[in-house]
Amino acid sequence: MPDSVVLGSFLGRHAEHAQELLAFVTQGELYAVPLAAVQEIVVPPPLTVVPRAARAVVGVCSVRGRVVTVVDFRTCMGLPPLEQGRRVRILLGQGENDEIVGLRVDEVRHVVRLAAGELEWTAQSLGGDAADSVLRGIGRPANGEELVLVDMKAVLTKGCA
Amino acid sequence: MSEASDRGHEEFLAEAQDIIEAFSRNLLSLDASFKKGGVEPALLNEGFRAIHTLKGLASLFGVTGLAMLTHRLEDLLDGLRLGRVSISSEVLDVLFAAVEACHLLLAAEREEEDDGAVPDVVHRVLTQIELIGRGAKAAREDDFTIDPGILAVLTEYEEHRLRANLEAGLRLFRVRVQFDLMTIDKELALLKDRARQLGEVITYLPTGESSSPDVLELDLVLASGEELALLVSQLGGEAVAIEEIPRRNALAEARRESAAQVLSRAPLSVSHPASSAPSSVGVPALERGVSVQEKRLARRAVRVDIHKLDRLMNVVGELSLLRSSLRRVADRIKNSGQRQLGGELHRLHRNFERRLEDMQDGILEMRMVPLGQVFDRLARGVRQMSRDVGKEVRLVITGAETEIDKLIVEELGDPLLHMLRNAIDHGIETEAERVRAKKNPVGTIALNAYQKGNHVMIEVEDDGRGIDEKRLIERAVQIGAIEPSSAPDISRDEVMGLMFLPGLSTRDAVSAMSGRGVGMDVVKTNIARLGGVIDVHSERGIGTKMTLTLPITLAIVRALLVSAEEHVFAVPLSSVSEIVLLDSKTRLIDGREVMSLRGSTLPLCRLAEFFGIAKQPQRGRAFVVVAQVGERRLGLVIDSVAGQQDIVIKALGSSLDRVRGFAGATELGDQRVGLVLDTTGIVEEVLSIHDTLRKAVLHA
Repeated sequence: MPDSVVLGSFLGRHAEHAQELLAFVTQGELYAVPLAAVQEIVVPPPLTVVPRAARAVVGVCSVRGRVVTVVDFRTCMGLPPLEQGRRVRILLGQGENDEIVGLRVDEVRHVVRLAAGELEWTAQSLGGDAADSVLRGIGRPANGEELVLVDMKAVLTKGCA
Repeated sequence: MSEASDRGHEEFLAEAQDIIEAFSRNLLSLDASFKKGGVEPALLNEGFRAIHTLKGLASLFGVTGLAMLTHRLEDLLDGLRLGRVSISSEVLDVLFAAVEACHLLLAAEREEEDDGAVPDVVHRVLTQIELIGRGAKAAREDDFTIDPGILAVLTEYEEHRLRANLEAGLRLFRVRVQFDLMTIDKELALLKDRARQLGEVITYLPTGESSSPDVLELDLVLASGEELALLVSQLGGEAVAIEEIPRRNALAEARRESAAQVLSRAPLSVSHPASSAPSSVGVPALERGVSVQEKRLARRAVRVDIHKLDRLMNVVGELSLLRSSLRRVADRIKNSGQRQLGGELHRLHRNFERRLEDMQDGILEMRMVPLGQVFDRLARGVRQMSRDVGKEVRLVITGAETEIDKLIVEELGDPLLHMLRNAIDHGIETEAERVRAKKNPVGTIALNAYQKGNHVMIEVEDDGRGIDEKRLIERAVQIGAIEPSSAPDISRDEVMGLMFLPGLSTRDAVSAMSGRGVGMDVVKTNIARLGGVIDVHSERGIGTKMTLTLPITLAIVRALLVSAEEHVFAVPLSSVSEIVLLDSKTRLIDGREVMSLRGSTLPLCRLAEFFGIAKQPQRGRAFVVVAQVGERRLGLVIDSVAGQQDIVIKALGSSLDRVRGFAGATELGDQRVGLVLDTTGIVEEVLSIHDTLRKAVLHA
């Protein structure tokens, strides 16, 4: 099955949880990352802006004594920034060099379980240059909204670059 | 590997490292004493013991290469201390090479590359040791006039020392002393120290006679050139009796009285201390009086991973945050009318604050180690390098006891070694040149360390030829770092700065050691990473002095909190010399804003503009934080000063590595994070006048 190759590289070592995804909303659109790639969901602590940092880096914050760089998902996707939102959350995951980096999203929804047949892994059709893209495909649950599948590590790495 | 054995392995590495370093120090002293013409036997013994211990450890942990090397090394050292092999500079060379080989093997073991293969260097050392061993003379048989009764109880080593002393024309004395069992360790050490001033203690043995069970009587056999009367006056006391031990050809009667008596009961306790008669309860401890004490000291020390101290320091940081909250609560209670309760809480708070400071100081103290740790390694390097280039160099070290953060010490070795290498290779002239210049043919390099306020200063100063400024500028033009047109109006300080450009070397011929132009820029980067700076002073024909200014610790920093455009930054206080009001009449010189401060010109940097966070041109009252980095000053213009705070600097994630200007972040309380300015980096960036120079530095 050719799909499984792509699936493997996207899910990496979290392949055993392949069907579990965390869905989140940004700009009204539903996205999802593998649940296993999310270490923690935190309510945003006060952010400190880092001058001269990459555009998508919205700042640093302290999560239990650790200084964490936070990347804005909207900026990564080329969307306009969101003024404060009550439901804004930060997903912690591993970026480049296994550094823990935060991904700021508008709102976290729920965990979805998808069967292999409900996932469509297409890198090309979504965002042009496949290597640069952080999107990995579309999830079509039998009874629910479509989800855009995001590669957590790739988006965190891209956001910091 | 399980966690427990992992830890055991870690400890082995750390301990082996310590032993090798101690041995290397020992070798340096040996080298020094050899050059003075005499070798102190105590040094050889110490070295022998160190290697013996290391051999045991290496075998225990199955580090075969190291075990083999130390085994041979032990033989060699044994030969040296027993006089079978005589010491020479060749032997010392081999010993120094062996230290390097040990380091190498240990490094391989740390990287877990020990595949049983023995590196070439180790092979060479092994071969050399073997060669020396072959040339060793057999133990001498010529009999001195020593009483066989004495010889019978002496170990091979002691016998060797005895012979050596008699050969040197010294006389033997018996010092009989009574010790209180409670204080014997200390007393014996004291006595031996005093005796060592007068001669050499060959051995000491219990007599087995004592007036009470709490008293132990010992006989020390002392070889000395002094008169009996002097010995009595120096060592004498109520419980001490001193006699000369006659040679065999002297009175047989006296011999029976003294020497024979001294030694008659001794053999038992020497070979089997534990099994001797009840009268010698204290014997096992005695036999190695001093080393027992040493061991006890060693056992009281604990090895701690420095990251554990970091974690503790973090906890202290969090406690200080709690402390501030506590204080706010105390204030509220006081203001709400409950004055007495509030007052009590305030007192508690102050107490808490003091204890917290004590704790912080304590943790900091644990991180501090003397610079001597790295200086020893450097001394070895200088010895090697000066031999390699055939220049005789004297290294004078002062302030090795100056203490600095362990992490800094670990990072200092390479940069300092490089600076010394430069001094030997470029600075110090050849002997012929020195003679022509009417200088001492032996070059001198001084390595000085001292504490100055919150900093540790390390100077590397040579009495060599100095830096050729013209040549330096020419080279900088050649590699395209500066425009030929701007070369004439470059200031002296800037010229010195050129030597830190990547790819710059004033040497035409590339030597094996330095001169490839890689180096000083790396040195500078490494020192900057530690929050330090280098200043260079040089006089043609007189010498060059490089001064490192380093922070004492990396763990905790007193910082000034400043704000610019609603951003709060922490500026390490160690780099702030003063805070002044911004002069309303600033001027532009060379396109840079400056103000005058007490008659001198201070370049300015508007922080908000520098960071690109300025929303509108600065108006109204502003402050200038005068940052002092080495000898350069820069005024950072900010909106206001929010106060001072002790901060624990935390690293920013590697994703922000490319962002310049920040040394890290710190927690300010109420969950907020503040960025810590990298003052050194900012001063550097702002003050590199020449754009090309600036580019070169930025792209380094």
